[in-house]
Amino acid sequence: MYASCSMLKDFKKMFLKVQLNWNVVIPAESLDIKGLMLQKAILIRLLDDFSTKRATKDLGYLLAVTTLDKIGEGKVREHSGDVLFPVTFTCLSFKVFKGEIVEGVVHKILKHGVFMRCGPIENLYLSNQKMSDYEYQIGESPCFLNMKTGSRIEKDVGLRCVVIGVKYMEAMKEIQAVVGLEGDYLGPV
Amino acid sequence: MSEKGEKGGKSALKSPASKGKDKGRKVQFDSEDMFDEKFETNGNGKSNGKADGYSGKGKGGKGDKGGSGKKEPRALLLNVEQEIPENVTCLMDCEAAQIMQGIQEHMVLLSKDPSIKIPISFDRALQYASRGNHYTDPHSVRKVLEPLKNQGVSDAEMCLIANTAVESVGEAFGLMPSLKAKKSKVKEPLKSALTELEKLKIVMESTKKAIVLD
Repeated sequence: MYASCSMLKDFKKMFLKVQLNWNVVIPAESLDIKGLMLQKAILIRLLDDFSTKRATKDLGYLLAVTTLDKIGEGKVREHSGDVLFPVTFTCLSFKVFKGEIVEGVVHKILKHGVFMRCGPIENLYLSNQKMSDYEYQIGESPCFLNMKTGSRIEKDVGLRCVVIGVKYMEAMKEIQAVVGLEGDYLGPV
Repeated sequence: MSEKGEKGGKSALKSPASKGKDKGRKVQFDSEDMFDEKFETNGNGKSNGKADGYSGKGKGGKGDKGGSGKKEPRALLLNVEQEIPENVTCLMDCEAAQIMQGIQEHMVLLSKDPSIKIPISFDRALQYASRGNHYTDPHSVRKVLEPLKNQGVSDAEMCLIANTAVESVGEAFGLMPSLKAKKSKVKEPLKSALTELEKLKIVMESTKKAIVLD
């Protein structure tokens, strides 16, 4: 099974394309220039907000603004004089879903399981309970070993696994997921 | 946290049904940290407390912690459509890679202007997408796979077929239990789609092997 698995490298999680409506606030001092420069100011501000936002629960990690579709009529904010522009844009994001097949690269091995990295996701956790064929091996470079097949899970190994659960950490703007190896065509690649 | 746990945990799953009593209800909703303690294994946690992916009953929720409490008979179904808002479409990795590579080509120019900020996740996502991009032309891939939708294959399943670069029908069913449910309808069209996809693959020395369709 694992032999066939190694043929098909690389699969991952889901990239999403989404159209969003946001409000962009342009400070009063940036408004003395008109036309294209204003558009640029709006775009820069949007990219700034977009980068700062980093991730959302529904969309996962925000990656890039692909098109700026519409800039609406600006509204002046009374107290500050800033102008608020409603903008519609399309962007790309990245998220993992339960049931999805993902590939992670192992970066930490503990007795109870391993942590993997997968694109922008820093922590995919594979518990030893979810890889019952593998046994923890203590040593200088600890690993999980499958006694039957001899396949090893060690640092920097790519693992194809299935997503069991996903959690979004609002405070850190981070997605974490638990994954499993129980199923066909799953394992080191 | 632990004292909330008892009342909060239970009703969080049933909240839409138990409207009547509003008092003290905030506990469940304002505490995002409730989610900190457990992974959502059922949908996006919006309100549909039913464990949609599992064949089990809706009562799951609480016991899902760690996912190991019960027996294993439930298959993890891919229910992306239920988890994402309507205005979102799933992209195949090869499509995402193409878009991001387009942006990357302008990066030299863009990075000259310090006011233009690029999300920190961009590089790693691009790296990831490029690594898994095994098709020469994303448009053709979509064209080949799109007809499968008529057989009930969802957008997400379609993307996963492309992303995992499955080589046989058996592998596709093995990896996607949700697809298995439509096996009778999907098997033949999927077989021919996979044959077509094989032709679109970027030819890599190591990848050249006979297609084994079951």
